[in-house]
Amino acid sequence: MEKQNLLEIRNLKKYFSTPRGELHAVDNVSFDIERGKTIGVVGESGCGKSTLGKTLMRLHDPTSGEVRYKGEDIASMPLSVFKKKYRADIQMIFQDPYASLDPRMNVIQLIEEPVRVNSKDLGKEEIRKKAREMMELVGLAKRLENSYPHELDGGRRQRIGIARALSLNPEFIVCDEPVSALDVSIQAQILNLLQDLQRERGLTYLFITHDMSVVRHISDDIAVMYLGQLIEKCPAGEIFKNTIHPYSRALLSAIPIPNVHEKRERMVLKGELTSPIDPKKCCRFAARCPYATDQCLETEPALREMRPGHFVACHGAEKFLS
Amino acid sequence: MSDNLLSVRELVIHYETDEEVVEAVNNISFDLKKGEILGLVGETGAGKTTTALGIMGLLPPKVANVISGSVELDGNDLLRMTDRQMRKIRGKRISMIFQDPMTALNPVKTVGDQISEVVLLHDRCSKAEALRRAQEMLGMVGIVPERYRDYPHQFSGGMKQRIVIAIALACRPDLLIADEPTTALDVTIQAQILDMMRNLQKENGTSMILITHDLGVVAEMCDHCAVMYAGELVEYGTVEAVFDHPKHPYTEALYRSIPSLDKDVERLHVIPGMVTDPASLPAYCSFADRCGDACGMCRTLDPKVLDLGGGHTVKCLKYTSKWEGKTDGKTESA
Amino acid sequence: MSKIHTPAMEKIEKKNAKRKKPVRSTPGRESWKRFKRNPTALIGLGVVCFLILVAIFAPLIAPYDYQTQDYSVMMQKPGAEHWFGTDQFGRDIFSRIIYGTRYSLVIALFCTIAAFFTGGLLGIIAGYFGGRADTVIMRIMDIFQSIPMIMMAMCIVAVLGNGIPQLVAAIMFASMPTMARNNRAAILRVRGSDYIEASAAIGVGQLRMIAKHMIPNAVGVMIIYFVGFLAVSIMMMSSMSYIGVGLSAPTPEWGLILNDGKAYLTSAPYMMVFPALMIMITCFAFNLMGDGLRDAFDPRLK
Repeated sequence: MEKQNLLEIRNLKKYFSTPRGELHAVDNVSFDIERGKTIGVVGESGCGKSTLGKTLMRLHDPTSGEVRYKGEDIASMPLSVFKKKYRADIQMIFQDPYASLDPRMNVIQLIEEPVRVNSKDLGKEEIRKKAREMMELVGLAKRLENSYPHELDGGRRQRIGIARALSLNPEFIVCDEPVSALDVSIQAQILNLLQDLQRERGLTYLFITHDMSVVRHISDDIAVMYLGQLIEKCPAGEIFKNTIHPYSRALLSAIPIPNVHEKRERMVLKGELTSPIDPKKCCRFAARCPYATDQCLETEPALREMRPGHFVACHGAEKFLS
Repeated sequence: MSDNLLSVRELVIHYETDEEVVEAVNNISFDLKKGEILGLVGETGAGKTTTALGIMGLLPPKVANVISGSVELDGNDLLRMTDRQMRKIRGKRISMIFQDPMTALNPVKTVGDQISEVVLLHDRCSKAEALRRAQEMLGMVGIVPERYRDYPHQFSGGMKQRIVIAIALACRPDLLIADEPTTALDVTIQAQILDMMRNLQKENGTSMILITHDLGVVAEMCDHCAVMYAGELVEYGTVEAVFDHPKHPYTEALYRSIPSLDKDVERLHVIPGMVTDPASLPAYCSFADRCGDACGMCRTLDPKVLDLGGGHTVKCLKYTSKWEGKTDGKTESA
Repeated sequence: MSKIHTPAMEKIEKKNAKRKKPVRSTPGRESWKRFKRNPTALIGLGVVCFLILVAIFAPLIAPYDYQTQDYSVMMQKPGAEHWFGTDQFGRDIFSRIIYGTRYSLVIALFCTIAAFFTGGLLGIIAGYFGGRADTVIMRIMDIFQSIPMIMMAMCIVAVLGNGIPQLVAAIMFASMPTMARNNRAAILRVRGSDYIEASAAIGVGQLRMIAKHMIPNAVGVMIIYFVGFLAVSIMMMSSMSYIGVGLSAPTPEWGLILNDGKAYLTSAPYMMVFPALMIMITCFAFNLMGDGLRDAFDPRLK
């Protein structure tokens, strides 16, 4: 079977200039996203995962690199062309359903808005009809049409966010921590909804999260980011069984597991995440890595395929390949 | 005297405004032994923080109203105490850590001053002695003591939470209430902080109430676990009992709704509907409308807390002799 | 229904029983509800409404004409005939103050509107576009602010002479920088919100973004500043008239009435007490109302 890549990201960079120097938020990231699949991007705050998502959306302009969407580079085309051609195709679901909805609009206005601004030829009735379809699709009761976001709970607000993204019939959706602001019981509802929609409509997701159990549940592939760089990418099942990169392993071992009998060996990392401002040419994890060697402090490891489909950026990868 | 440090009895707290009465905490009772860690789990609006503030005597005045109940610390009812008496207890005998370490520290004072301030407030000692204590505390939470002259903005998020913990523990309190102490932090930092808290707790024998929505954190840290729903304590027991044999349908459903790290699940279990609004609680079981096991009597009776043996209590009609069984599986969804 | 019934619940149930239909909760209604709950804000609003009525019906309320001089009743103390007394020309101070309400309120309104459409608009532009536009506009505003208000007013009056338009211009120039800064901050706060980014992500264009998302969300804060500026304008106007660079006699403007009484402060203090009280009450009312609006529109700001 031939794999079909919907997105091919090559050497994508996004730097921000700050008073303290260049912040390498996304640094030389390359990977592919297969059509109809979900790729989970995990990492701690400040690792650049949200910036990556927003750069793909062209909410940030990339510093350099290519993003090929169906073969065409969307990173370098003028923003106006991108908006006209691909805005509807690539959509985003935001993290905080409390802050990402305009408090002065009611539910139906919020859901109508994307259709209204993107298809100017549609009449009032058609727009309303489309919005109502969307409400039904994401499971929002019709009686909520005139409610305002402040009257609704987090789960319903996130459904509005999903309806807004879906009403443009996108093919690719960047989900930026869509459930991290929700309670567990509501989180399950939203995750199921996202999976159902993917199945029905053949959607492709880039799922950004810091929650390892959520990412394992929803993703086909998982990419781990650290200080702006992609350090490990592999199929979802693989990362929990055969983690290679020491950082990924530390990340996994740090998750508290709701099981009283399982007492795991925990790999506690030294120090804390710094921000990638004018980073040195070396492994960015070396300073916290318990296995760091001189080589790690001198050269930057490249992403290598250690097993089929399993890419790692670590000089000692062979050692950890148990 | 019993070995209970804290015992909360039939506590009811309402928030009253002109438009509505929010029944935040409804008739909850629990005990906390010396040196024990109790995990208080529940979703947003379950009344966890209100319970904690009620114990601390820090409920917002005018709006919050303690309707009934008692909170006894070593046999003295905290709810009957004057503000003056409470001020002596807060920080000295009971301390609280809040969720957001960024806002809990005073930005224009050095961290050393902030820790020694608490010491000076409660213990008779010289300024130099208090400062020495502050440095000792910093060392204890894993920060180089020499940094006592630094200001909060010079520390990272995880470090700030360590400092907040140092302030809370400076007077060696008997009880520490930690309200989601690691929610704002990354997992690797969370692991560091939890490890540190557990070690400090063991060394000092401090009792602790750990408020969290993360069942994993409870499993790792706590001896006992209390599950709250709509201001009620629906299940209480040792973590082993509650995690291995959850009895209340809500607790069970909660477990099944979190994605597992080691098992592949095609679809997650969903608790239908949304979190019961504490401003309009039913007169019957608050969970009945979302419960998969609910039957007719669940929508007429409010269950009483039932001891299943070994201190494992549950507030559900399923375990009473009158239980009629499941009559229909119909549950209302939103 | 509830678990435990309390008296507070009964009160609310009674209240709800009286109400026929549950009212839909919109952001605007929520704000009004918060405003209504704030007694000091209501007092402020009440006083302001009362002053507006006084200004409208001034001819009906005032017992005498404001400029008729009657030398038979010069310098009378407050009494049954002349409630606030009379001045050195025998004019009834009560009537003058009543008519003065018109001048104060209307001119203050004009000044604030003028400042809003100059400084305020510049601030909105600076906040929305940022970058160079922001720098240029805000530095010009800084220069404006570094000239003392009274000196600017005196220059304007020296060149153009006394009069209402000159007064409005002077106050406008003096308030522009603050107005610009406030509105810029209001727009910046909205511009940084997640929902603006979320709207950009679904393809909302610049015009719609400003008209449908930014202005509606910033307007509450802008109203707060607007009301605050009404009080400031009344103050400025009175103080300028008092030192003689504002309106000229015999206009019954409060600052001018104060000025008239200045010479008789020791012998006839009432000539100054009443207009001063009026200025104070008016500004106080506007400020109370402004504070109430702030709490109502933006419960997070305090």
